[in-house]
Amino acid sequence: MAEVEANKQLSPEEKKRQEELAQQTVAIKDELRKTKRQLAMVLDLNKCIGCQLCSMACKNTWTKKEGREYMWWNTVNTMPGKGTPKDFEKSGGGYKVLFEGKVREPIRGNLPTRKEFGDFWKFNHEEVINSKFGTSVLKATNPDGTAPEWSMNWDEDQGAVGIKYPNSFFFYLPRICNHCTYPPCLDACPRHAIYKREEDGIVLIDQNRCKGYRFCLESCPYKKIYFNFEKLTSQKCIFCYPRIEKGVPNACARQCTGRVRFVDYVDNEQGPVYQLVKKWKVALPLFPKFGTEPNVFYVPPLAPPRLDETGKVDLSKPRIPLKYMVDLFGPEVEQSFKLLQQEMERARDGEKSELMEILMAKRWKKMFGPFDKDPETAV
Amino acid sequence: MAENTVTTVEQLVANKVAASKEELLKLDSPAWAGAKEYVLEMAATPLANQPSPYIKATRDEKEIGKITKVSMKCLHNGKEVFFYIKWTPKERSTSIGDLNIFPDAVALLFPMKEGIDTPIKEMGKEDAPTNAWYWRADFDNKPKNQVTQGLSTSLYTEKSSVFANSEWKDNEWKVVMGRALQVEEDAVKLAAGGKKPLGIAAWEGAAGERGGVKAFSKEWRDLVLA
Ligand code: SF4
Ligand code: SF4
Repeated sequence: MAEVEANKQLSPEEKKRQEELAQQTVAIKDELRKTKRQLAMVLDLNKCIGCQLCSMACKNTWTKKEGREYMWWNTVNTMPGKGTPKDFEKSGGGYKVLFEGKVREPIRGNLPTRKEFGDFWKFNHEEVINSKFGTSVLKATNPDGTAPEWSMNWDEDQGAVGIKYPNSFFFYLPRICNHCTYPPCLDACPRHAIYKREEDGIVLIDQNRCKGYRFCLESCPYKKIYFNFEKLTSQKCIFCYPRIEKGVPNACARQCTGRVRFVDYVDNEQGPVYQLVKKWKVALPLFPKFGTEPNVFYVPPLAPPRLDETGKVDLSKPRIPLKYMVDLFGPEVEQSFKLLQQEMERARDGEKSELMEILMAKRWKKMFGPFDKDPETAV
Repeated sequence: MAENTVTTVEQLVANKVAASKEELLKLDSPAWAGAKEYVLEMAATPLANQPSPYIKATRDEKEIGKITKVSMKCLHNGKEVFFYIKWTPKERSTSIGDLNIFPDAVALLFPMKEGIDTPIKEMGKEDAPTNAWYWRADFDNKPKNQVTQGLSTSLYTEKSSVFANSEWKDNEWKVVMGRALQVEEDAVKLAAGGKKPLGIAAWEGAAGERGGVKAFSKEWRDLVLA
């Protein structure tokens, strides 16, 4: 790049100093990325009903006030869909992974707008309550007075475009920060404000160091960082670390109606996360192509079989195109589907399936590994 | 440009005038008319020094440092020192209007210790801190006082005695920044009759410049408080 040109004019001492500084930065970033253990979440997309209780649990716990009102650290979007922020998948960021992961080249990302996330709407509740029945309707407005054009889950239940009944499909995709093993946000921050907690790999933004430059938001390919316009700092999902420290699972996981979310250390061999991610390998990261190694994993969504023109079951191809699933969860998704189907059949035949037992989550607390305490009584 | 304009100076002189703080904060005050105007050439901060592998990999030095020159006048009144800074960005940006919008900014930088080599390109180092007076278009003319001991270590002090006035007119920013020569907070100590190295940095918000992505005066210049 252009620095090569500028380097020509540098004295040998200056060049040496530049190299020293570059090495220092790499060493600091390695240190900030270092972990002894890693916490992770597995979400079973076959059970998510899109009720947004997770989003509300998170909102009530963390994003109700102090400039966080417009934030949704937890989002649930209908897929296929444009997501939150709108079209985030196409906004760049992440890494180009080379030499089997030995080198990660950062890719430039874009900054979304506040309206692409969905702004903090005001409603005309007063007007509706105080007007004669039928004379006014409930309306939302952005803080700048404009009508909203996007929000979290704006395209709710629209699903696949161009695919008609009876083969139409959609599913829900809940997302939080992925607490990536190689977080581009951490690499991007020139203030060294972003770090992984050594004891559990939770990615945090030090609010005292952050100066609101938003390089992190630019570089995160999942666009899971929000900017606080009151505090002028960047903020995001903190994996409920104050709860985790007390042995209580994340608010989104504990509130989930569908028993969708498992929480545990990845290396806890007895725990559900290890079993689903490492042992059975049915849970996969979203967009592995971004090169960040997320620590949020998904059991991919199965769908009812396709029907042919005559209305008969057509097993020759799946209802949700495999290509789409591969795009979302990588090529391993095919194997994951095979295993899920095979184990489902075994269970149907009355045989015992360890995998199905875990996924059914009959014993609720087992979903959270060591984090099975009640928030009311935990100290 | 006025006839008393000097380009690429090594030394800037702040003459003493008998004018009050209020008078000197006025952008059209006659007190400024006689002051010499210096034009400082600016350059991109070295990309190689950016403490972010992401910024290094995704930026091109050619696209950094949009503000290629600023003009500056300096005066003092025995009690306070004043800098009248002007520059012309391609586009004005006054606030963090959205996630992808950054405000225009300008900063003066001083080494805090005498007789020790203080690298301007790194904003100082551990035992050689620098002090910045940081004006930003969204700060309501209340510049921050910042102390830095090397890249990525800058911190605002709780208190800032730096004051300012500003105006956007004819596609140009006019900013007067000033401060009492002696202040309580952790900051550079100035005295009439003395000399101090001075650096300057400027950010073009509309071009996404923020943090280390900026233009700066390349070297220390000498500020003489006559
Ligand atoms: S998902 Fe984004 S914000 Fe979260 S750790 Fe990964 S890069 Fe950082
Ligand atoms: S609470 Fe559970 S079921 Fe409801 S939307 Fe969230 S993840 Fe899906």
